[in-house]
Amino acid sequence: MISKAKPAVAPSIQPRPLARQPRYVTWLSLSVMSFLALMVLIVYESRWVYPEIQAYFSQTGNLTGQQLATRSRVYLQNAQSELLADQPEQEAFAAAITDIELSYGLSDMHVYRHQYECTEPSLRILNRVLARLEVAEIDRVGAVGELFGPIQCLTHIEMDQLDQRGAAINDFSVSTRQHNQVLTYSSLLIFVMGLVFWWLHERQLRRTDHATQETFEWMQRAMRDPLTGIGNRSALHQDVLAKQHQSLGLILIDIDFFKQYNDAYGHPQGDTLLRQLATLIGETLNDEAQLYRLGGDEFAALLRCPDTETLKSYCCQLIEGIRAADFAHPAHPDKKGVTFSVGGSRFMADEATFAYAYEAADKALYRVKAAGRDGWQVTEDA
Amino acid sequence: MNAVALQCSPWVRARGLLACVLISTSVLLPTAVFAQALDVINGDVTQKIAISDLRANSDTTFTLYDPYQGRDVEMQGVAFQDFLIDQFGEVPPALHFTAWDDYEVTLEGWDDPTWYLITSEDGAPLTIRTRGPVRLVERDYSGRDVANLRDFNDWIWMIRSIEAKW
Repeated sequence: MISKAKPAVAPSIQPRPLARQPRYVTWLSLSVMSFLALMVLIVYESRWVYPEIQAYFSQTGNLTGQQLATRSRVYLQNAQSELLADQPEQEAFAAAITDIELSYGLSDMHVYRHQYECTEPSLRILNRVLARLEVAEIDRVGAVGELFGPIQCLTHIEMDQLDQRGAAINDFSVSTRQHNQVLTYSSLLIFVMGLVFWWLHERQLRRTDHATQETFEWMQRAMRDPLTGIGNRSALHQDVLAKQHQSLGLILIDIDFFKQYNDAYGHPQGDTLLRQLATLIGETLNDEAQLYRLGGDEFAALLRCPDTETLKSYCCQLIEGIRAADFAHPAHPDKKGVTFSVGGSRFMADEATFAYAYEAADKALYRVKAAGRDGWQVTEDA
Repeated sequence: MNAVALQCSPWVRARGLLACVLISTSVLLPTAVFAQALDVINGDVTQKIAISDLRANSDTTFTLYDPYQGRDVEMQGVAFQDFLIDQFGEVPPALHFTAWDDYEVTLEGWDDPTWYLITSEDGAPLTIRTRGPVRLVERDYSGRDVANLRDFNDWIWMIRSIEAKW
């Protein structure tokens, strides 16, 4: 009876899911976020410090670079000098009026009026002096004396503004020092955090690699026959699928009367024989074939096979090889050594054609067994 | 006394009138000569523009919070961009300003319609006392802190001359 080839069962091996992947992503994200936070902190601190420096130290030459009160006071003192200078009264008055006008324009500021009580009276004095100078109702010394009050006020404003600026610079200095400390310690902390997260990320990466490697090895083991180290039935299916559209030969090799061998020598010796036969088959086929153990005493070989003649040649080599090896078989009914029954078929590799090829090779094997074993048969193109 | 005075000869009256004019002129001389023209300098050419003409041409009136005065002020002047185009043919890349208080500065970026050259405040002509006779202000300075006068450094006061820098 021709045994039907077992339906090809697609191996259900799939990579193990990477359970820790979400955390792996999280460590990496945290690490990147830490370094980003460090950059943001540095940029923020830079942007904080620069405008403050601009505000306190980069006003030279600008309109408010020198205090308005200072410039105003200088013009009043110039006016006094002009009034006391040895020159005609008319020229002295004209020059003084110009200086006092400029001084007035520079000191008539909302901020001065608002912060310093002496500003309003001073401006009124300047107005009065200007009016009296314009109509020459005041003598030079009197005008000079009148201007002392506004000069005193402006000096007070100057000193107070300098104090305020000094206090502001001092506050800035203290604040800068605090920011500097915050920047240093925060940077250090964030940098260390970033390194820790990165280290966790690397550790997770190694674990993932290890898990992948384990999965791969597990898959490899799942494809191997543990006794002989050659492939199993699943590996045969995988390899056929991997060689699609190639002309392949499938050879099924059955050890004749292996049960009797086991009964005679015991199973440990039977296992030894299986390993020796696997080696022998590989050597006989010049290591060009991929070998598989399909069952207790059944091997399969898969090899490139451009035509049926080549396949026959391989089958013949196997029979001759086992005969030449001359493994003892005390329980062989025909008083021979260990012998093979070999069936082969050639096919174009495909998931669908493999089942037919397997069935064809099995039929050929059956014919050998029916004919008394220790031989080979090939089914022409499956 | 009154009769005598009333019977003054025309010559005496003319002489008295002349004296009055001379006295007035001498008294007003400082302010009349001082800050009554704006020098517009383009290369070697200096053009004096009478402040009175600028006032007459001040066709724009608007109300603006002046941070230096701490109150809303009605200002009258001309759009500075238009003024520059009238004077130089186009807006120069930079301008050098000299003020009556000897402040000098060179600034760029005047191709901006927000700047106005003002000549009057609250209906009164600007004088040196009110940081005139002409002053530059920004009509729109939204977003800036009016308490921080450093943000208004470009408001040039007491402008004496404007020189184009090409």
